[in-house]
Amino acid sequence: MLALLAATPALPLDEAGKYVAGAYVVFLALIVVYVAIMAAKLQRIERELSELARFAETRSNGGQTAPGRGGEEPSISDSLAPHGAEEAAPYE
Amino acid sequence: MYGKGLRPLSIATVAAIVASLSLVFFYAPLDADQGFIQKIFYLHVPLAIVALIGFVVGGVFAIAHLRSGNSRWDAYSYVSIHMSVIFGVAVLITGSIWAKASWGHWWVWDEPTLVSFLIVFLMYATYYPFRYAIEDRERQARYASVFAITAGAFVPLNFMAVRMAQSLVHPRVFATTNGGLPGSMMLAFLASLLAIGLLWVTLVKFELTAKSASGQLKRLRRALDAPAPGGRSRVAPEVS
Repeated sequence: MLALLAATPALPLDEAGKYVAGAYVVFLALIVVYVAIMAAKLQRIERELSELARFAETRSNGGQTAPGRGGEEPSISDSLAPHGAEEAAPYE
Repeated sequence: MYGKGLRPLSIATVAAIVASLSLVFFYAPLDADQGFIQKIFYLHVPLAIVALIGFVVGGVFAIAHLRSGNSRWDAYSYVSIHMSVIFGVAVLITGSIWAKASWGHWWVWDEPTLVSFLIVFLMYATYYPFRYAIEDRERQARYASVFAITAGAFVPLNFMAVRMAQSLVHPRVFATTNGGLPGSMMLAFLASLLAIGLLWVTLVKFELTAKSASGQLKRLRRALDAPAPGGRSRVAPEVS
């Protein structure tokens, strides 16, 4: 890897270098922030799913309601999804 | 269902990005006029093209939604527009950096390419408040589709208007005469366009997968909240 880097031609990182680097870093940062937000959402889904799995296992023992927001009004984060789509469950 | 093929698509996207960056920085020659600054072109222009195409694609999905009434198309339309808005932010920021480096100003108001893209971006920025101002979910999806179609039709009109506006500041580099891209630069540009396009598709698929999982989770909750007749499970079979 180091040999490959050594063989590559040097980039003219003078005055222009900081602008070019800035443009590419901003783009990379945007993508990283987006992926981090999506990863956090997926973690929440995974956590809620494991909660529901535990609930489903113990459900036969009593008349509980599902944990979380099942029978409640949707939260703010729920409302950010395209509502019509989720209500009609189009993702199957 | 949406997660199917996401991993190979992600790998292909990363490979395409690495290949395009290698071409941009180690293969494409320095521009005789702008020098190293011109490397921003390989990021800024593909981002703009993909964002604009994404807006049009969102409009096409919206047409499918209005024609079929299937809310799946509304989700496609929403995610396409959402991703293109994110790419639009990147276009505006990278464009400003390029403008500062080349022209000495972060923004130039008399340049039609910049201003028209800003107008398109701001128009799509109103999509979210417009959509979520409507509480009824069916109406929300329907009105959002009408918006997506109308705005999507505006995008090519805007593009043509900019092409017709003659400007020396933004030369038409894809013309075959006077200022056309040489082969090595064109190759690097097309590789960048492919990489950014693949990135857009991957992120759209990623977001659809996350929304699908979220939607199935809600259905699972509803199924678990409902009484189970005869002791049979009402849990959606696709969720394990």
